[in-house]
Amino acid sequence: MNSEELKKQEYKYGFTTEIENFKAPKGLSEKTIRFISEVKKEPKWMLDWRLKAFNRLKALKEPDWQKPKYPKINYQDLYYYSAPKSMKEKPKSLDEVDPKLIETYNKLGIPLNEQKRLSGVAVDAVFDSVSVATTFKGELDKKGIIFCPISEAIKKHPELVKKYLGSVIPISDHYFATLNSAVFTDGSFVYIPPNTRCPMELSTYFRINASETGQFERTLIIADKGSYVSYLEGCTAPMRDENQLHAANVELVALDDAEIKYSTVQNWYPGDKNGVGGIYNFVTKRGACRGKNSKISWTQVETGSAITWKYPSCILQGDNSVGEFYSIAITNNHQKADTGTKMIHLGKNTKSKIISKGISAGQADNTYRGLVDIGVKAKNSRNYTQCDSLLMGNKCGAHTVPYIKNKNSSSTVEHEATTSKINEDQLFYCNQRGLNQEEAVSLIVNGFCKEVLQQLPMEFAVEAQKLVSISLEGSVG
Amino acid sequence: MENLFNIDFTKISTSTKKEEFDRKQNFDLFLKNGLPNKKNENWKFSDLNLIISKNFKKITNNDNSKLDKKIELINDFDHNHIILINGVFKSCDIKFEEKKKLKVESLNSIENFKYRSNNNLHYLNKALSLGGFILEVQKDYKCKKPVVIYNYFTSNLDNKIINNSNKIKLNQNSELTLIEYNIGEKSKFFKNTFEKINIDKGSSLKSIIIQKTKSDGYFYKNISSFQDYNSSYQNFILSSGLKFNKLDIDINLEKENCNCHILSGLSLGKNEHQEIKTQINHLAPNCKSYQKIKNVLEDNSHGVYQGKIFVKDNAQKTDAYQLSKALILEDQAEFNAKPELEIYADDVKCSHGSSSGSIDADAIHYLMTRGIELQNAKKLLINGFLNEIFENVAEEKIKTFLEKCIKEQIDGI
Repeated sequence: MNSEELKKQEYKYGFTTEIENFKAPKGLSEKTIRFISEVKKEPKWMLDWRLKAFNRLKALKEPDWQKPKYPKINYQDLYYYSAPKSMKEKPKSLDEVDPKLIETYNKLGIPLNEQKRLSGVAVDAVFDSVSVATTFKGELDKKGIIFCPISEAIKKHPELVKKYLGSVIPISDHYFATLNSAVFTDGSFVYIPPNTRCPMELSTYFRINASETGQFERTLIIADKGSYVSYLEGCTAPMRDENQLHAANVELVALDDAEIKYSTVQNWYPGDKNGVGGIYNFVTKRGACRGKNSKISWTQVETGSAITWKYPSCILQGDNSVGEFYSIAITNNHQKADTGTKMIHLGKNTKSKIISKGISAGQADNTYRGLVDIGVKAKNSRNYTQCDSLLMGNKCGAHTVPYIKNKNSSSTVEHEATTSKINEDQLFYCNQRGLNQEEAVSLIVNGFCKEVLQQLPMEFAVEAQKLVSISLEGSVG
Repeated sequence: MENLFNIDFTKISTSTKKEEFDRKQNFDLFLKNGLPNKKNENWKFSDLNLIISKNFKKITNNDNSKLDKKIELINDFDHNHIILINGVFKSCDIKFEEKKKLKVESLNSIENFKYRSNNNLHYLNKALSLGGFILEVQKDYKCKKPVVIYNYFTSNLDNKIINNSNKIKLNQNSELTLIEYNIGEKSKFFKNTFEKINIDKGSSLKSIIIQKTKSDGYFYKNISSFQDYNSSYQNFILSSGLKFNKLDIDINLEKENCNCHILSGLSLGKNEHQEIKTQINHLAPNCKSYQKIKNVLEDNSHGVYQGKIFVKDNAQKTDAYQLSKALILEDQAEFNAKPELEIYADDVKCSHGSSSGSIDADAIHYLMTRGIELQNAKKLLINGFLNEIFENVAEEKIKTFLEKCIKEQIDGI
């Protein structure tokens, strides 16, 4: 791909879908929450839950310890619910879905039409505040796997939702998580029954379309005893001059011997070259390895958003449980990222591994912030952390802020971090072999990220590799 | 906070009315936010407010600086000395140096009363400081023998607070080795020290902090240093045996080609809590910083390392390294680390590493198969672990002396 092509590709998902919207009145109030709950035809317990969160929210303050500072968000100037009018009554099958929506997803490279699908990936497409369609439902049903929008799960599987919702991220964990608990609109719900291996990748595709809208989705994944699931998440948004808020909550629960693999390719609109517009991506993601020998693995490729602020974490409660975190965070132009993970070791023989690669170019700021906490009872636990940063130019910043706590003598914690620029010798070697500067940088950066890219499922790996190159466009030379 | 302190300003002899007013104003500023607690990022792992209020009641300021016992001087190597009693300058003996090349004076008045600080303990220090010493090395003079500061604490200090401040200045192309030697009687007090170090062009300062006796004191020491072209600053921290100790080291590499080293080897015993916090500011190109922090933790001790390397955008070709290692010997012990990098320049080499864990079981097994008892095998390995720190001390006699001190500490385990 030459640089001309790269330039054209700057942010190819920046288009807007002209579609009539049905919105909640502007502003954050009990009325808005009641409105959302009513539109979603939720049972009373769910409304009570939301109101409880809203009451707690009043007493909370926005956190301010993070590195990227942002102008104050006016929460009363946002729409908390926006859905295409055609979605007011949920279509029963794909044929009833507004063709405009199908077209949008086709444009994004996510065909919802099952017959046209290449490989078996079941998709739940979320457009602004509602889930548009979920594919491959029949096939999953046969195995007893539940994969549906969370609004549907609240009605159809209240016992599961009641049991697990808010069990990993408590109702009023911190400001943005509480805000989400109060106003979340849709998201995915996954339940894998015992001893079942999910036959295909499950995927959710988030799209923010409407302006002045915040997206607050909630995802809940439960892997019952001995099950396995791999879940993918992708996100895009149109190019706009305003900043939009995205505050999602993701909860994972892995019971005995279960494994959850959660991959994210986050490509929200990052704002233009001068730092105007873009998404504020303030997301809370947390997984609990509740059972023995359970495993949760987070993989993330963070290329978009004006500000990314998230820490996918693992609470390793069960003995012998394993937590993993693989991350690539690329910031260019005026983007800012403050991301990392928390590994809380509580059970015996728990293991965690953190591989984080940060790349900053332009005037961007990239921070890795992480916590490894080995509790008193977490005997024979092990952690290995590696975070490498790559700097391109002297106007950007790369920071590492690890917190390491070790409270027992049989556990070992190791942490390594390096910061450097692209090796001149490597560049020279590539140039010599006929690669131009941009291609050479792209190649080296891809090599730098390889350890993380390898962790992505096939379908995502190719896309992610391209993304890495595109995100760094214009940062060389 | 008012209940915790019972300060008597009449105990402080002030020269002017204004000084008295300034002191009181600084104390009011301190009371506004009180002692730092864990909500303060710099005190995240050592909640000073909790630690002090748990162990002290009605803290009063100390005005006694009379020597109650003869100080035993070190005979292992020739040295000049300065004697401080409860933080106050008492006497000095600079017998090995040329006249007027090394100036030592008592620091009487505290300057910059108005200076704003984001460290609340600074206000406390300015309000109550009784002085300390000023040490200045003249241009082009290389000190022949080290200067030992005997930091002596008397026995009647229970529930008292000591505030002092020191200034050290090395003029162009000078050299000095400074050894801070802490000795004292058993008493429970809180000491709050601020030290300012200026190292001019081409100068080199070597500083060693060592603790002679175990102490029930609670120490906080803030060192801020400023380095000019081609200067060098080496800091060895071997202050084991304190109930509570926090060293807050702020190093500013202001001009090109400076280097600084911070090397620490501590073994912490029962109820001990030590923290080393560093901030190395790389403000100019081609500077080098190196930090190696080692901790041996036994019983219910608590070790903390918070290190930050800051590289300004023009500080290209910076080489910064940070390593913290901890040996945790028992389950009640805890080690917390926060090795932080904040980098705004691209052509730099910055790395850090941190590890904590128990003694290598294979190594113990190896030694035991060769007939060494478990306890001795452990001591041998701990010794090896800590020895690495002061191996970098060039003077043979000082090195042997340090070795002896460390061995005594390890034998106590």
